Amino acid sequence: MPAAAELEAWEVFRQEKDGDPMRHGGSVMAPDAELATHYARELFGRRQESVRLWVVRRGDILDLADPDLLQPPLDRSYKKPGGYVMRDKLAAAREISGGSKPRARSSRRTTST
Amino acid sequence: MTVAAIPTIALDGLLRSMADDEFVIGFSDSEWTGIAPILEEDVAMSSLAQDELGHATALFGLLGELLGEDPNAIAYDRQPEHYRHCRLLDHARGDWAMTIARRYLYDSADAVRLDALAGGSWAPLSDLVAKLIREERYHLMHVGVWLNRLAHHDGEARTRLLVALRELRPDAATVFTPLPHEDTLIEAGILEAPMSELERRWRETIGPVFADLDLPMPPAATELDRGRLDHREAFRWLWGEFTSVRRSEPGATW
Repeated sequence: MPAAAELEAWEVFRQEKDGDPMRHGGSVMAPDAELATHYARELFGRRQESVRLWVVRRGDILDLADPDLLQPPLDRSYKKPGGYVMRDKLAAAREISGGSKPRARSSRRTTST
Repeated sequence: MTVAAIPTIALDGLLRSMADDEFVIGFSDSEWTGIAPILEEDVAMSSLAQDELGHATALFGLLGELLGEDPNAIAYDRQPEHYRHCRLLDHARGDWAMTIARRYLYDSADAVRLDALAGGSWAPLSDLVAKLIREERYHLMHVGVWLNRLAHHDGEARTRLLVALRELRPDAATVFTPLPHEDTLIEAGILEAPMSELERRWRETIGPVFADLDLPMPPAATELDRGRLDHREAFRWLWGEFTSVRRSEPGATW
């Protein structure tokens, strides 16, 4: 075992209740995986606010922040749905199907089965 | 089993010893709040200390119900000589190694004691003990990690651990001080075995750990009948601290 362990950062993800996605909670500093797990438990679970934790060494995360890959310089607006107006088409479709709102349609389907 | 079927005095002795143990170690360890080795450990040790105070609250609650007394009065209004925690918890906070050594010796002993109460016939206590066991499991894990680290790091860490153990070892077995009316508790099916047997089980549990870490085993207690009496000056100081707010305004509702 080394004479003195260096602290390193561990990222902690937490699930609030069964079925929820894992969300980033924050990070802890710890010298090894064992204590990182303990500290994650104390900082993100001691008040029963989590049902599951993921503890990941920050150095093990694949970090992608290359602007050429993520923020390319040319216009990308044509890849976004902003210019495409759906309202009139949706209204026409509802007219044909006799439905009103998606929610009402799904509830009718529930009662019919 | 109803409380009436069991001599109150026997249950009183048991509950008081357990509640005082948890209360005192909780306050001792809370002294690390703000000054623990790193921020994360500060939160962890403070959280553990809070857990112990929570356990004490539950146990004082049972005792208060049994005696028809206010649990807060039992917890705070006694003179230092009337507390019944074990002498293992009578040492000043000391350094981090001292805290880890004390906590390991106490938590490992407490785990054996709780196991002997888990199947007990008095539901209010056995139900509570089942919950305490689930929390204490983590405490023992946490302090075990630290005991390993200190014991394995030759140099200052191991030296300090050995110094701490040298001071604490003679008192380690006082957790198993025979209780007044212990036989009554065993006959009533509340406690599974006498404290002397629990001490034997505890030695069996920690023996391999201490051998593996090359640490000296605690000796048998010398004055076992006084293991929860004659509290030291360090406890009087701690008592002064943890009762100071309550004594500042006697009778006040907080």
